[in-house]
Amino acid sequence: MRVAGETRGLTAVLAAHAPWLLAIAWSVLLLGPALAPGFVLSYDMVWVPDLAVRPDVWGLGTSLPRAVPSDAVVALLDDVVPGMWLQKLVLLGSLAAGGIGAAGLVGDRALVARLAAVTLWIWNPLVVERLVLGQWPVLVGYGVLPWVLLAGRRWRASGRLPVRLGWLVPLGSLSVSTGLVTCLALLAVTGRRRALPAAGLLLAGQAPWLVAGLLHAGDATSAASGAQVFALRGEGLLPAPLAALGLGGVWNAEVVPASREGLVAAVSLCVLAGLCAVGVRSALARVPRHDHWALFACWAVGFGLAVAGWALPGAVGWLAAHVPGGGTLRDGSRLLVLCAPLLVVLVAHGTDVAVTRLRATAAGAAVVSLGVAAVLWPVAVMPDAALGASGRLTAVEYPSAYADLRRVVRDDAPPGDVLVLPLTSYRQPEWNDDHKVLDPTPRVVTRDAVGSDALVVSGVRLPGEDPRVLDAAAALTLSTPGERSAALVRLGFGVVVVDDDRPAAPSVAGTPLLDADGLRAVALDGAEPASAPWWWTALLAVAWAAYAALPSGAIVLGVLRSRRSEADTGS
Amino acid sequence: MGSILATVGAMIAGGAVATVTVVGLVSSQTSTDGPSPANVNAPVVQYGSNG
Repeated sequence: MRVAGETRGLTAVLAAHAPWLLAIAWSVLLLGPALAPGFVLSYDMVWVPDLAVRPDVWGLGTSLPRAVPSDAVVALLDDVVPGMWLQKLVLLGSLAAGGIGAAGLVGDRALVARLAAVTLWIWNPLVVERLVLGQWPVLVGYGVLPWVLLAGRRWRASGRLPVRLGWLVPLGSLSVSTGLVTCLALLAVTGRRRALPAAGLLLAGQAPWLVAGLLHAGDATSAASGAQVFALRGEGLLPAPLAALGLGGVWNAEVVPASREGLVAAVSLCVLAGLCAVGVRSALARVPRHDHWALFACWAVGFGLAVAGWALPGAVGWLAAHVPGGGTLRDGSRLLVLCAPLLVVLVAHGTDVAVTRLRATAAGAAVVSLGVAAVLWPVAVMPDAALGASGRLTAVEYPSAYADLRRVVRDDAPPGDVLVLPLTSYRQPEWNDDHKVLDPTPRVVTRDAVGSDALVVSGVRLPGEDPRVLDAAAALTLSTPGERSAALVRLGFGVVVVDDDRPAAPSVAGTPLLDADGLRAVALDGAEPASAPWWWTALLAVAWAAYAALPSGAIVLGVLRSRRSEADTGS
Repeated sequence: MGSILATVGAMIAGGAVATVTVVGLVSSQTSTDGPSPANVNAPVVQYGSNG
């Protein structure tokens, strides 16, 4: 009798903890070597040991503030947690937290359904492709999304603002596209009665990129051809819209797992569609009515905008070229993040229905077997996502020359900003296992740094938006090193860093500061650093204060509620 | 009859998915690397390829 009771107790404990244990297990398996000591540098993912808190991380630079507010948040946090470990915490935390949140979206279903939700949330093409492409703010927003939906649901039901939204909204707004996802999800789930306070909360969360973007509005349009280049792409047998239905379809073929290019991707879509179909009736019956519309609205907007760039590249290109900020829509498949909650809820309900039906007719072993299949199938159809997408994500150490560069620029260089040459955006250094990465040099140095923001995709060059890069490029066309240096000094550059990569950079005259491991730094005397107008600083200070007020307010509100609750208990 | 078919079907599905998962995970990690997606001799490192 006692043994039976203990067994039941153990089962209950396992059932309660299994979703988060599985979420952590899948996240660790997915990231694999990326969790080893060192930095994971892949395409847009550039982390450095200590990102300096400098004007451009707040949005005061001349380039489009694409990394606002993510860079500022990292620059502050890596003073507390070293950058290397902070990166791992962010990657692992985003994946695992998202998986646990996904289980919470179907918290009233059987354990097997919750585990199926965990696996699908973590192990899908969207996660793997965006991970390799290095878009970590998208993954943070993705990890926060189910928690935003749960908090919004609770707010709607109780009428009381959940304290956790003060943390979730800023975390879910680390980039423009991620912020838009968070806004739509929260507004959809809270409903009209809470729309005004929710909008206020969301506006504060978006304030840094919104204000920084408006201040750069004159340069915030991008090449129309980008819509075609970054449009949704078919994967293997699946044309683009079908790939998007299964959360795939990223524009960059280089980051797509090999398993997505074969027949298995089509099988995967069939299984997904089948489970969704089986789960529809159960979801309609059991998920709160308002949430039907919220989940469907999120799915429809995400899928619609992802497909729009593929179906109407001309229109999306026009928006990008003529409407400041319209370029956000050119890589619309990022917004497939919005499709994940509905898919996961339907798949979990489908799993629940299938297992429940089988339990009524078949032996226990068969039920377990089907449960195993329901939980494992996302991994079975994309096994090459494991261990850092089969080695595409590895952790490396920066050559010591980068630390030297940081030191000489901080201690020895004359006043002025840093220009990074050659004027190409991406590097493929040997020390990074020949993996591509956005040039890390601008983030290594302690001053505002300017490098190319032009992109080349399949031979198509997409011009950048930073006017200062164009000015620097013009200065570099002058005939002698002395003339180039003088022109760069007039533009406010006090240091030129040359990464000995292809193509060769034009030489400039100045005082050598460093020449080591392929990095050269030259000091240019007489520059006055470029500075933003005072009113930019003032407006951005207000925006950042609003952003910071969210977590600060959450702490205060949490303490007040806790005290009130204690007082109520005491009386 | 239906329950027997359901039992057999579920056992096969579970066994097959579990086997494919394990074999897939092992083989994808032990197979030789594919060609690097980028051409290291290219004058400019491209952001990616949409071909």
